[in-house]
Amino acid sequence: MIGQTLDHYKILAQIGEGGMGVVYRARDEVLNRDVALKLLGRGAADKVGTGHLLHEARTASSLSHPNICTIHQVGQTENDFYVVMELIEGRLLSDLIVSTGLSTETVIRYGAQIADALAHAHDRGIAHRDLKSSNVMVTLEGRVKVLDFGLATRLEREGMSELTLSYDALESKLVGTLPYMAPEVLRGQKGDHLSDLWALGVLLYEAAAGKLPFVGKTGFEISSAILRQPPPPLPATVPYGLAAIIQRCLMKERGERYQRASELRSALEALQGAALQSRRSSEETRGPLALVLRGMEHLAVKNGDVLLLVGTNKGAFLLRSSRDRTRWDVAGPYFHGQGVYAMAYDGRTGRNRLWVSTNSPMWGTFLRASDDFGRIWTNPLEASIRFPTESGASLRNIWQICLGRADEPDMLYCGVEPAALFESRDAGESWSLVRGLYEHPHRPRWMTSNGGLILHTIVPDPGNKERMYAAVSAGGTYRTEDGGKTWQARNNGVRVMFMPERYPEFGQCVHKIVLHESRPERLFLQNHWGLYRSDNHGDSWQDIARGVPSDFGFAMLMHPRDADCVYILPVESDEFRCTPEGHLRVYRTRNAGGSWEALKRGLPQKGAYETVLRDGMSTDSLDPVGIYFGTRSGKLYGSKDEGKSWEKLIEGLPQILCVKAAVIQLDGAPAVRPSLKSKPAPRVKTPRTKRVRRRIRH
Amino acid sequence: MQVVFNIPGPLRQFTENRSSVRVEVKAGADLREAMVALFAACPGLRDRVLTETGETRQHVNIFVTNENIRYTGGLATLVSEGAEVSIVPAISGG
Repeated sequence: MIGQTLDHYKILAQIGEGGMGVVYRARDEVLNRDVALKLLGRGAADKVGTGHLLHEARTASSLSHPNICTIHQVGQTENDFYVVMELIEGRLLSDLIVSTGLSTETVIRYGAQIADALAHAHDRGIAHRDLKSSNVMVTLEGRVKVLDFGLATRLEREGMSELTLSYDALESKLVGTLPYMAPEVLRGQKGDHLSDLWALGVLLYEAAAGKLPFVGKTGFEISSAILRQPPPPLPATVPYGLAAIIQRCLMKERGERYQRASELRSALEALQGAALQSRRSSEETRGPLALVLRGMEHLAVKNGDVLLLVGTNKGAFLLRSSRDRTRWDVAGPYFHGQGVYAMAYDGRTGRNRLWVSTNSPMWGTFLRASDDFGRIWTNPLEASIRFPTESGASLRNIWQICLGRADEPDMLYCGVEPAALFESRDAGESWSLVRGLYEHPHRPRWMTSNGGLILHTIVPDPGNKERMYAAVSAGGTYRTEDGGKTWQARNNGVRVMFMPERYPEFGQCVHKIVLHESRPERLFLQNHWGLYRSDNHGDSWQDIARGVPSDFGFAMLMHPRDADCVYILPVESDEFRCTPEGHLRVYRTRNAGGSWEALKRGLPQKGAYETVLRDGMSTDSLDPVGIYFGTRSGKLYGSKDEGKSWEKLIEGLPQILCVKAAVIQLDGAPAVRPSLKSKPAPRVKTPRTKRVRRRIRH
Repeated sequence: MQVVFNIPGPLRQFTENRSSVRVEVKAGADLREAMVALFAACPGLRDRVLTETGETRQHVNIFVTNENIRYTGGLATLVSEGAEVSIVPAISGG
C-alpha cells in the first residue's frame, strides 16, 4: 500500500494494525496535511455489511469533542473501505499502563476526560461499543483521545457464538475486546451507553491496578468471570474513593451503575478535587513552594475597601485601603520573579475573584485566579490558554485580561502574544481562540512592535453583544459586528510614522483605547504618536492632541462617571520614552479632547524621567474618583480627588507593568460564592512566615 | 527499561517534591516517548517544559547524561536503559 494513492490520500507509512484493519499515515494532498487512514479488511466489511459500517462511521464523524479522535471522511473504492481520521501523535493508553498501574491522579484525570467524551457522544445517541485501553491515545500534551467511536459495531456479536474457542483464536475477531464487555453484551444485547460505562470501569481498573479485572485462558473463562465473579480487590494504593467509583461502574446489574457518563465524570472530578486537597496538605508539611511566593501576611479585605492590583516584571503586589484611601496595606510579591503583565478583579455576580497572568522566562505563561484575595491561587497543571496545534503557534505571553459585559458574567477575554484573542464562556474554566480575528487576511502583514506582536486592548461594546473592539501592535484597531466571527480594520484617519504610507488601512501601532458605557459610539485612542477620538464606533478618527506636550504615550483612562473626561500620561517620544523635561504630569480633558490640562500637584517636577506603560493607570469608582498609576521605576502614585493632587503610595517596586483598582463589595456576595473548580489545580496555599505586611500612611 | 529524570527545584511542586522521577519505557524508546511517560506520571510538567507545539521551551535545556539534546536530535534523541535526563533552566533573566 505504501506509496499508493487512495482518492486524494497518499499512503506514507503503516503506523498500526488491529482487528479492524491497518492504519496508515497518509498525506491529504488537497488540504496538505497528514492524516490517519484506516483501511478496513474486506473480510470485516463483508461480515457486517459495508453499508452498515459506512453508516456507523458517518454517524461517528458527526462527533466533535477535544477528547474524541475526529473522523474527517469515510469512503470506499472498488476494493477498499476506509476511514480518514485526525492524526494523533502520542501513545496508546494500553502501552502506558505499567504493571504497577498509573498514579491515582493520572487515572482520575484520564478517566474524567474519557467520561466527558462518552457524555458528548451519548448525548448524541452514539455509543462507543468497543472502549478499551488500546482504543485510547494519550497525546504528548497529556490529552486523552478516544478512537474508533461506533466502528466496533456488530463485530463483537459475531464472536459471541464462538466463546468456547481459545482466547487466541478469538483474538482475530475480538482483539482484546472481550475483557471489556459488559455482562448484558455477553448475553447478546447490543452495546449501549451503559455497557460503555462498564467498559470504562474495566479500563479504570486496568489503569489503576496495572491488570485487567476479568481474566482467563479462554474466552469462556473470561466471559464466565465477567458474568459471575466480582472483580478482584484493587491494590491498597488505590484510594477508597476511586475504588468505589470503579466498583459502581462494574455492577453486573445495569440499574446499579452510573446511569449517565456525566455522572461518572462528576464523580471523578469531585475525587480529583479531594485528591488535590489531600496532596496540598502533605505539601504543606514539606515546606514552602517556591513557585508562588515567599511568605507574607496577606491582606484582610473588608467590604467597601479599595484594592489595587499591581503587576510588575518580578511579581504581583496587592494594596488595600479603606474608603478614605489614606493608609495602604501592601502584600507581595506574589509569583516571585515572574512577569505579571495582566491582572483583573471580577466582582460580577458576587464573586471576588482576582485574575493574574504569570510569565516565567523558563516555564511559560499561565492564567491563575484567587477567590480569597491572594491566600490561595490556582496553579494549573495544564495551560488553559493554548493555541490549537494546527496553528503552529505557541503562547508567549498574556497581555490583557478583560471582563465581559455585566450581563454576561461568565464571559472573559484575554489578549495574548503572538497577537490573538481568546475567550471563555464559563468564567475562565476553558478558553478558545477567536478564529475570526486570528485568521484575518491582514494578519501576515501585521508588524511586530517593540513589545512583540501583541493583542493588548479589548473593548466590548457595553450595549451591543455583537460588537467589540480589539487592538494589535502593530496591526491597528479591529471591530467585529457579529460577535467575533468577522473583523474589520477601523483605522481611518489614524497616522503611522513608520511606513511610507501615512494613513494605511491597517498597521497602526495602537497603545490604548477607552470608551464610556453611556456613549458607546465614542472611542478615545492613544496611539504610538497621536491622540484621537472617534464618534462613530471607530469608522473614522479625528486628532484631539491640542494642548498636550507630546501626543506620544501609552496609558489612557476613562473617568467612570464622566463620559467627557479622559486621562493620559504623555511621554516625550518613541525614542525617549520618558516624561517630557523630567516633569511627571497627568493630563486630563473634561470636554472629550477639546482641551487638556496638566495635573501635577504632588508629583515630582524635576528630574522625574518616568514611563507609565499602557496598563499602568487605573481608577476606582468612589466619589470623588481615585486615580492610580505606576511607573517603570517602581513608584506607585495615587490621587483621591480625581487627579487634583497626588501622593506617592509606595516606591521601590520592580518595574510596574499594570495597575488595576477596584472597590470590593462583600455585602452582595451570596452565602456560597461561586468557587473555582479544582480542575485546573493544584491550588497552592501560600505559606506564612514571620515577614509582616508593610503599612504605609499618607 | 527505566529512565531517570532529574527535576529542577521550581518544578518539584509537580513531582510531589521529588528531585528525580523514574519512568518505565519500552526498549529503544526515544526521549519523546520517555517524556510522554514522565508527563503521564507528573502532568504539571508538560506545559512547563514544552510549548503547545511540542518544542522544548526556549529557556529550558534538556540533557541526556551530559549532552544537550539540541545537538543530538532534540526529542528524537534515543535514550538507553538507566539513562539520566536532566531538565535544567537555561541562563536567563532580565
